[in-house]
Amino acid sequence: MSELSRFSKPAKASLLVVFLLVLAVSLIALVKNRPSREDSPKLTLNVLNWTSYIPDEIIADFESEYGIKVNYGTYSSNEELLAKVNSSALGTYDLIFPSDYMVDLMISRDLLAPLDLSRLQNLDNLNPKFLAQEYDEDNTYSVPFLLATSVIIYDESKLAPIRSYKDLLRPELENNLVILDDQRITLGAMLQASGSSMNATSSAALSGALNFYEKLRPSIKAFDSDSPKTFLITGETDAGIIWNAEATLAAAERDSLKIVYPAEGFALSMDNYCLVKGGKNTDAAYLFIDYLLRDDVSQAIVDEYPYISPNLSVASLPDSELDEILSRGTYVKNVGADIKKLDKLWAKFK
Amino acid sequence: MRKKHKLASSSSPEVDEQKGRTSSSRSVFDGHKLVFTLPVIIYAFLLILAPLVYILFLSFLTADNYGGYSYDFTLQNYAEVFDGTNLGIFLKSAGIGLLTTAICLLISYPFAIFLRDKPLKTQNLIIKLVMVPFLTNSLIRTYGWITLLRKNGVINTSLLFFGIIKSPLPLMYNYLGIIIGMVYTLLPFMILPVYSAVSKVDQNLLDAAEDLGAGKLRKFKEVYLPLTLAGAFNGSLMVFIPAIGYFFIADILGGGKAMIIGNLIKNQFLTARNWPLGAALSIFLLVITFGLVKLYEKIGGDLDELGAG
Repeated sequence: MSELSRFSKPAKASLLVVFLLVLAVSLIALVKNRPSREDSPKLTLNVLNWTSYIPDEIIADFESEYGIKVNYGTYSSNEELLAKVNSSALGTYDLIFPSDYMVDLMISRDLLAPLDLSRLQNLDNLNPKFLAQEYDEDNTYSVPFLLATSVIIYDESKLAPIRSYKDLLRPELENNLVILDDQRITLGAMLQASGSSMNATSSAALSGALNFYEKLRPSIKAFDSDSPKTFLITGETDAGIIWNAEATLAAAERDSLKIVYPAEGFALSMDNYCLVKGGKNTDAAYLFIDYLLRDDVSQAIVDEYPYISPNLSVASLPDSELDEILSRGTYVKNVGADIKKLDKLWAKFK
Repeated sequence: MRKKHKLASSSSPEVDEQKGRTSSSRSVFDGHKLVFTLPVIIYAFLLILAPLVYILFLSFLTADNYGGYSYDFTLQNYAEVFDGTNLGIFLKSAGIGLLTTAICLLISYPFAIFLRDKPLKTQNLIIKLVMVPFLTNSLIRTYGWITLLRKNGVINTSLLFFGIIKSPLPLMYNYLGIIIGMVYTLLPFMILPVYSAVSKVDQNLLDAAEDLGAGKLRKFKEVYLPLTLAGAFNGSLMVFIPAIGYFFIADILGGGKAMIIGNLIKNQFLTARNWPLGAALSIFLLVITFGLVKLYEKIGGDLDELGAG
């Protein structure tokens, strides 16, 4: 109270005017934003997807084509997705995009609803190579959306060629590397770099990964999953372990940026359409999935975010290259209760 | 009537007049007290007390591996709070919090003492300007700092251009970046209570000190400091506590490498999916806050002033 009464009368009057103006502006904004009854769509769809994954225009086009309102939320790791689905009331989300191992984990936790594949007319657009994967052998719960891979990117005008994770230990990379702030992907890279499999959980493998990480630590400038390309484009760092699409976008901005698939191996991350158990807008969800499965839509998505489309006719890569990526890369697997060990190890990384 | 301030007591006519005003308006309010306070009580109960009780309850449950929990009562979470890796994080957080508080104090005192001699109009204007940044979301303001601090940012580019430095300074993605972000974000919370306390110091005391030959430093040490200690502690509390919790500043300006208590709690909820441990950590943070508030009361702070800045 004493704070307020110290202001003089004209000061109070001016404050009041400012307050009323703010109030008026917010009221106008509120009224303007409220959809009028005529054009309010009957159906809504609650989607939770990765950040930077579907361009806004694609969603807007879908909304106007089908008259469905899409409520679109985002996450930046599978763990965050799991936490959000776990902590929300049933029916909060209809459609989510978990990666391979998270599909497996969510099936085991009974969080997903089975898909009726006969309702997806555009399913035939998909390359069979991407169907019937280990994490969901007959696609009961999941249909592939996009394939992401983890790659090394570096600036060849500033650094000698980099071929492997081990090359990132070189002294000129000190404080010069951005890596994904993603538990399984980054731990996986450390495991592969120390000669283990990406999905190993033995204590020998984990201590080897920690050892390698301690050697790599001086090189790391930042952990970032949301927009690691910015680090490379602005020259904040000259190297990174980041998603393929982020790397492709960065390389398009700067010619000297080169993308390599690390010699020790890398992660394949297939993100899938999945229906959340208890979702209320199943019809809208099928329409949205079928829409995204269309070749022209899939093409538009990978034009903006250059991941690998599973659509046969949206070939972003020559077949031989795709086969090589699929054979050399590893899918992250659900490790069951051993996840606790990985949690502990990840906590030591920071 | 509000409890009179023990330390920052003052008998200037301006304050006396205020007191008269508050007590007369209070009598009008008394009849409608419930009407005016009920919404706040409901708000506090639903949005502050109820979630706190939930967190407290959660902190005694047993976590499973996938973000769920079972209703088996355990104290294990509290034992895990004091796990070896966590202690390092507590120390780091305390260091960041104390340094941020110290820097804010060092900026706020000269600023408040300088401001108190200016005409009232100027004072009001400048204090309003101090509050202007609150109109923009702090997350967005933090992103703004990236443009300034990064390797090819405004500061480094300018310094390089004028030949003041030869290679870019590491201003962010380290502890320096975190401290810059914390001080910037939390400074107003220090300036407001310190200014409020400093402006209440009786001019007669300062004049007397000057007449007796006290220099600027002595005047600060023997007049300002003892009379404004409660205000400074109030500000310190409001800077220190957020400084160990603002995980987004540590993430954005520290590059996600340095974990503070805020990140630790956020990670339990989002990455490690261990809600009970996250809840226990939150309760731990709450106990620290409560202890500091008690300490504040002990040195003569007025609880009503907390948060009034």
